[in-house]
Amino acid sequence: MFGKKTMQELLDVMKSDSTISDQIVYWKTIEPRDAVTVPLPSLLHPNISRALQNRGIGSLYMHQLSAFEASLRKESFVAVTPTASGKTMCYNLAVLQEIAANPNSRALYLFPTKALAQDQKAEINELIDEIGLDIKSYTYDGDTPANIRQVVRKAGNVVMTNPDMLHSAVLPHHTKWVSLFENLTHVVIDELHTYRGVFGSHVANVIRRLRRICRFYGSDPVFICTSATIANPKDLAEELTGKAMTLIDNNGAPAGRKHFLFYNPPVVNKPLNVRRSATLEARKLAALFLKNHIQTIVFARSRVRVEILLTYLQDLAKKEFGMKSIQGYRGGYLPKQRRVIEKGLRNGEIMGVVSTNALELGVDIGQLHACILTGYPGSIASAWQQAGRAGRRQDESVVIMVASSSPLDQYVIQHPDYFFDRSPESARINPDNLIILVDHLKCAAYELPFKEGEKFGNQEVTEVLEFLVDEQVLHRRGNQFFWMNDAFPAHNISLRSASQENVVIIDTTEAANVKVIGEMDRFSSMTLLHEEAIYLHQGVQYQVEKLDYEEKKAFIREVDVDYFTDANLAVSLNVLEVDKEKSGSTASIGYGDVMAVAKATIFKKIKFETHENIGSGPIHLPEEELHTSATWLQFEQSDEKTEQLEAGLIGIANVLKHVTPLFVMCDASDLHVVPQIKALHSEKPTIFIYDSYPGGIGLSEKIYNHWDIVLDESLKVIHNCPCENGCPSCTGTSDENSFAKSAAVRLLKQVRSLTINGS
Amino acid sequence: MALKKKLNMLKKHMSHDSPKETQGIVHRRETPAQQVPHQSFWQENGAAPYFFDDDHCIIKEAVFDKEMSWGRYKLADLEGAVEEWNRQKSAHPLCADGIHADELLFFDTETTGLSGGAGNTIFMLGMSRLIGDQVKVQQYFLPQPGSEVAMYHYFLNHIKELKNLVTYNGKSFDWPQVKTRHTLIRDFVPSLPAFGHFDLLHGSRRLWKDSLPSVRLSIVEKEILDVHRVEDTPGYLAPMLYFQYLQERDPSLLKGVFTHNEWDVLSLMTLYIHISKILQGLTFTTGKETYEAARWFEAAGETELALAKFYDVMNSDQIHYTDAAKAAARILKKQKKMKESSELWEMVLKCADKDEEAATELSKYHEHHTKDMEKALFYAVLAYDRWKGKKRLLRAKEAKDQAAFHIRIERLEKRVQQL
Repeated sequence: MFGKKTMQELLDVMKSDSTISDQIVYWKTIEPRDAVTVPLPSLLHPNISRALQNRGIGSLYMHQLSAFEASLRKESFVAVTPTASGKTMCYNLAVLQEIAANPNSRALYLFPTKALAQDQKAEINELIDEIGLDIKSYTYDGDTPANIRQVVRKAGNVVMTNPDMLHSAVLPHHTKWVSLFENLTHVVIDELHTYRGVFGSHVANVIRRLRRICRFYGSDPVFICTSATIANPKDLAEELTGKAMTLIDNNGAPAGRKHFLFYNPPVVNKPLNVRRSATLEARKLAALFLKNHIQTIVFARSRVRVEILLTYLQDLAKKEFGMKSIQGYRGGYLPKQRRVIEKGLRNGEIMGVVSTNALELGVDIGQLHACILTGYPGSIASAWQQAGRAGRRQDESVVIMVASSSPLDQYVIQHPDYFFDRSPESARINPDNLIILVDHLKCAAYELPFKEGEKFGNQEVTEVLEFLVDEQVLHRRGNQFFWMNDAFPAHNISLRSASQENVVIIDTTEAANVKVIGEMDRFSSMTLLHEEAIYLHQGVQYQVEKLDYEEKKAFIREVDVDYFTDANLAVSLNVLEVDKEKSGSTASIGYGDVMAVAKATIFKKIKFETHENIGSGPIHLPEEELHTSATWLQFEQSDEKTEQLEAGLIGIANVLKHVTPLFVMCDASDLHVVPQIKALHSEKPTIFIYDSYPGGIGLSEKIYNHWDIVLDESLKVIHNCPCENGCPSCTGTSDENSFAKSAAVRLLKQVRSLTINGS
Repeated sequence: MALKKKLNMLKKHMSHDSPKETQGIVHRRETPAQQVPHQSFWQENGAAPYFFDDDHCIIKEAVFDKEMSWGRYKLADLEGAVEEWNRQKSAHPLCADGIHADELLFFDTETTGLSGGAGNTIFMLGMSRLIGDQVKVQQYFLPQPGSEVAMYHYFLNHIKELKNLVTYNGKSFDWPQVKTRHTLIRDFVPSLPAFGHFDLLHGSRRLWKDSLPSVRLSIVEKEILDVHRVEDTPGYLAPMLYFQYLQERDPSLLKGVFTHNEWDVLSLMTLYIHISKILQGLTFTTGKETYEAARWFEAAGETELALAKFYDVMNSDQIHYTDAAKAAARILKKQKKMKESSELWEMVLKCADKDEEAATELSKYHEHHTKDMEKALFYAVLAYDRWKGKKRLLRAKEAKDQAAFHIRIERLEKRVQQL
């Protein structure tokens, strides 16, 4: 039996063992950083000061002091701090100081998930006990028992909840929370960067409602936000809360040495530039760490990847530590299951975790030494968040990013400067998306009547209110609009998902013990839960027996097969209205409203390990319609033959699919790219990019404004790819005789020669 | 798109300042009557507008002779029921001790939605009360949203001298909803009085939940109170009718809602009388009702009254004899009247051949009080036999119970041997 290797020894192995070291294309060592501290401020309440000292905290990090000073000036602020830099102190000090001075004052903490609220409650309560003042803090979520709820409403100095609960349980019942709203001095928004896209747009509206109710009760709380590193924390905080923000980014926390490795899997087919699967390589690297008892987290980009990796690794760990020591962690798991995993990680019972970005959030899972990213997570900010999972408590740690064959991954891994030097992406929201706005206006009108001319956030809404009067949802009397409907609007509006209804996943393996094991949004279910699909949950394979699309139920049964399934989605697009347009002689671009009709068509069965295609079948599901905004690139004239044109368009679309999320900082699934040889509205070759949320959330509009950059980068990706005729890393094809690459390059050059965006 | 254009158009308006709020300082007062829409309709139906500032609400009044029968009682029987409570002075939650019949406010609302929440508007506050020789029904009606200050102003001023609400599900719905809507206008109207509150839903559930398909007021009325409505507008239609009235401005749409609400508050009187009389033992009751009434007294801490009622059941009803005897035996045991208690357990043992509780209790009685270990052992074994003959659902509890039997029998066997 060999002894276990230490982290240092493993790093040496990776440098010397050529099967690994040859694939490491970049090795960056981030040197440790010393702490920048200051003494506890003299203005800090003596009880708090003493409590901190009793806990061995005799000084503050620089950024914590800045936060405290901003709060003394009653400024709203956003603190940008990396993982494990003591960000909770940034808001807890401000809030506790206020409550110590004025015991009636109340604070509301918003966390993106329930789990985070539970963590933070434990933390603040330890501090409160030490302070020795009568300060009550509670969590308020779906699990809070009815008798406790009353206490929380009446007496909680600090109420910790999540935006969904605020939206559906607090604001519509604000009359039961009078003492909270009358005395609300602080609202804390933790993990600000998670409030982007559709979810962020919803939450911005929830906060508009919150502030409207505060005004009614005569309070105007200060907002404190904390965020991971993104390009525009101040803008995002201001857009989300409608308040002017002070930016605090003078991080004074120390950090341990971190090794950041870029790992490019070996090429297995030179002419086609096909590389070994990132999943398989990630498995190999994870095994290396796990065998040496180094707690490791592996991130994968999709639920399916998580489950595949989990199956591999559990198999591997079975002999050594038992199945339970390697766990999966992703959105589809039920909350209780997730709590158990979080606990196991903290106390060391769990050695490895395979996760989607659910663990990007600051759930406290203690220290992990190694982190493996299976593929580039899609954004620089996300990559750093995930990397922060390793060595958050100042030890030496290693992060390995394993590139997949996708154009984006190959671009990033071959341009380390891009990754390490470029500022992270901006997080965008569009609170004024009409569908989202109207939904929340209904809720707001339910909560308090609207006066004519009253603004909602910064938005003039009288005409929308009049529209709701016509729909017989509101009743107008004089200059006021009253809710006049028997519905409870917040119950029909979910903050999290585009399609409101989720499909419930039901395990029917044991007829006597049928149980629900998870859920999935409707759009994803078309390609992941169609009949005969292999659905993976906690590493167990299930086959979908029946998908009841009407009733939103998928019935599955455990199976043991050596393949997984991959489904195709066919999309047709119809331009309804052109809002913006610029045309040149060879190409033009447009932006407007489209109707996308999506239909799942066929699925393929793909064998594990070899990833070969071993069968296929049709999918019978109804079409899904999506009315959204889109931008498109239209080729006015082309000398290409049809076949070449088609290959070229598909090639460009494949690159765009990966490059565009980079520029608008969104999940790859928030945008769709569809090439068409003959677009319905113009009969011309066209590439569409559309928002995947009804009504659009402003992503495609951003792209419309930056087509030149996007096309430039796409050309670079294809041009710089070492393949000859196109490959999975650029055009997506892997046919040796393909002309995708040359056609794509010609088409791109053709449109790039014209300055379509003007200056 | 159309809506998008709309928003773009809206952008032009954004530079306009929103109008300043005009609330506050204005001195609010009741104002003399003026002409309102549908004046003659309201008049014909016994209703009139009441003005407050430049707004108004509608108050409909109807007066009934207290000798009028409503179901199985006359309304005037309320006086007797309340007087009897004052005589009996128990700690029962329904006991109207120190209250006069004319201080009770029988109360029911009609709302625009079913779930609680800030946006659910109460458009009708209905109440009935006894005044002198009459029963007066008053309905405060919201002629349009936004007039709530007027409606609550008159309502709250009219009920000042009343002490106690009587409702059906009012503790969890009507009154919290009044509180919710009151919070929104609390700066302009009197504060809510601190009422006592009798919620008759609770009592109906206790008494009739097992014998009626549901304890909705309409079912209780028909099956228990002998109130038979003709052409009633069901309560769940009230929101739709109110919305339609707001659209079409035709108050005759609401005639049925007014009548429904009036009948509700009258039936509340009959129901209060009936439940009181059941508890006071002044009306014919089924064995089940007496048994449930006894349990209710027991829960309220009125052990003696409960005991008396359990004896009533034992004397009159075969079906509930065992249950009542067991309940009485438990009370007597708590009161340390061990002998009386054991006599009841013996009777239970004879009547209910599948009951191990009686045998266990008798075993304990003989072990600790008569010190007759042989008898104690006999009953312990009997209890275990009976217990074994039963089917049980919870396995965890089963193991625990079984262990308890074993321990008792072993202990008693030892003590018998020591004799």
